[in-house]
Amino acid sequence: MSDSNAMGIKVLGVNHRTAPLDVRERFAHGAHEVPGALARVMAAGATGGVLLSTCNRTEFYLVGDEERITDAVWNLLGERLESGAAARTYGYIARDRDAVRHLYRVSSGLDSMILGESQIQGQVRDAWEASRAQAGPVLHRLFQSALHVGARIRTETALGMGTASAASAAVAVAGKIFGDLAGRSALILGAGDMAELAATCLADEGVRVTLVANRTHERARVIAERLDARALTLEEAWPHFATTDIALCSTAAPHAVVTWERVGGVIGGRRGRPLCILDLAVPRDVDPAIAQLENVFLYDIDDLQTVAAQATARRHDEVPAAERIVEEEADLFWAWYGGLGVVPVIKEFRSRMEALRVAEVERALRHLGHLVPEDRARVEQLSQALLNKFLHQPTVALKAAAEEGRGYGLLEALRRLFGL
Amino acid sequence: MILTLHLLALALYGLATALTLAPVVGMRAPPRVLTIALPCAGAALHVVAVSQLTLVGLAPALSMLALCLVLLQLATERLVRGSAVGFFTGPLAAGLVGLALLIGLAPGAEPSAGRNAWFILHVALSVMGLALLALAFIAAALYLWQFRELKARRFGQVFQLFPPLERLDHLNRVALVAGFPALTLGVLLALGYAARFAGGLHVGKAQIVWGLFTWVVLGWAVWVRLVRHWDGRRAAVASIAGFAAVLLVYLALKLAQPGAERFL
Repeated sequence: MSDSNAMGIKVLGVNHRTAPLDVRERFAHGAHEVPGALARVMAAGATGGVLLSTCNRTEFYLVGDEERITDAVWNLLGERLESGAAARTYGYIARDRDAVRHLYRVSSGLDSMILGESQIQGQVRDAWEASRAQAGPVLHRLFQSALHVGARIRTETALGMGTASAASAAVAVAGKIFGDLAGRSALILGAGDMAELAATCLADEGVRVTLVANRTHERARVIAERLDARALTLEEAWPHFATTDIALCSTAAPHAVVTWERVGGVIGGRRGRPLCILDLAVPRDVDPAIAQLENVFLYDIDDLQTVAAQATARRHDEVPAAERIVEEEADLFWAWYGGLGVVPVIKEFRSRMEALRVAEVERALRHLGHLVPEDRARVEQLSQALLNKFLHQPTVALKAAAEEGRGYGLLEALRRLFGL
Repeated sequence: MILTLHLLALALYGLATALTLAPVVGMRAPPRVLTIALPCAGAALHVVAVSQLTLVGLAPALSMLALCLVLLQLATERLVRGSAVGFFTGPLAAGLVGLALLIGLAPGAEPSAGRNAWFILHVALSVMGLALLALAFIAAALYLWQFRELKARRFGQVFQLFPPLERLDHLNRVALVAGFPALTLGVLLALGYAARFAGGLHVGKAQIVWGLFTWVVLGWAVWVRLVRHWDGRRAAVASIAGFAAVLLVYLALKLAQPGAERFL
């Protein structure tokens, strides 16, 4: 185990709280850019590095104490800002135990824009994989434990429960009507981003998006191709309200397009089969009168945002329990990390003291030439005994502190006091 | 021994019910394994207790009904992940065991009849049929409740905790379809028992009337679901009406012939 393992851990980066979207976009690194970026930072003295880059954060996890490392990261990110602004004005640094705690909070979704979202866990895993060659033993252990913490929080708390976005709330609402959504059919009205996002969420649950209807057929065709569906014009869509299970409406029309006159009769022919209509448009696409039909369940964007907000509120209740797990696991990691550096430092400390003792005894004996060999040996023994007595308590205290996870602080003090 | 086992089963059912209802009062949901293990343990003790009972009289019938409800709750949990069913079956089963204990679970007056295999099978199947009718009622009630909340766009406790509509509708159908043959077999065994062991056990007219009425109601509920293809809200209302009719007729007959020594 090398001394370098006992260096500080730090995280430098930006996230959705510290930098606007256009800055985050510039700082984002594709998987192919990671090794090069890490190589540059490690050339400044870091002994291990992992780069985590998502749409909401770009973070360098590094092992090393050199200030040059920090400068290297900010310079590297700053090169991506055309304005010439300093990257560090958007960023943050956390060191040592705070850096560990930060990664644990990130991997469990506590630091995410949507509290408790689970996607980040996969992103942390991918970042670790992409940086595997440069991570080094400390960061390997740290990222391994971060994934464990994320999994533990998901199992032991309800932080990831419920649906915290409008698109996923649409899935939850449809799920409360149909139960298993696999094999259900969906009709998409409109070809906006929101409709496509919600349709993708439904498709992820096994819903067959069979039809995409839009005012312009060409735009419908583009989305339909992506979702492996058939493109229609709006007028062609109305008869399909008799057969589809879910209708997802998100047109840019300035008034309701799904009216009683257009679909009332068609829905009446469903023989009681439920129809879930998710109206994501503002202004609304669906005439509220449609909801009077017994088998129609109509929800607009406000309803879905209510569902999402309730889930978020419930997730907030789970934060204290999740934070407790983060602290607990950070203690465990720090105990391991503290113990990692204690043996080589103690060894170096003792050899440095031994060298001093030998030098001082030799110097003293030079002035004591009259001593017989037996007396010289006694002086030698005395100095050794004194040194052992002096070093015994610090050695025991260091080992004990390492076992309790407090070793790192003491090691730092020892290094500074004795210039190790 | 019978009393002790019933008391232990009651305690476990009570604890399981309290844990199941915890999210309703805003507390953290307990681990799923607990809400399954506790009624499982209670049911195991309950089976031992019921096996020692003489199945004659109101108290043993109530105890048997409670056991069937708990077993159905566990099956429901496993098959349709319908934990909200436990909100109703849990307190109901605990209440029925409590009532059976209050009435008294002493051996019946006619132990020879109560120990006959035909009779035991008749009681077990009839009570299971009745429990399935009760389960269909619970699923129907949950369906209507969830339906109302979804139509009214309310996303509170019912939305969160109750199963999806289609799953409740499916549970209602399965309970009715399984309940009808169980009750039919129970009735046939009663007829066979009466023919083979005439004089072994006196069966009152009220019991025959109620048994046949229940069979007709259950048969009708199955018929409208399978033949008339009723589903959703209409089927739920039919189930509730049927169960209510069975319950009311039982209460009316029981009022006419009070006493706990006989089921009716």
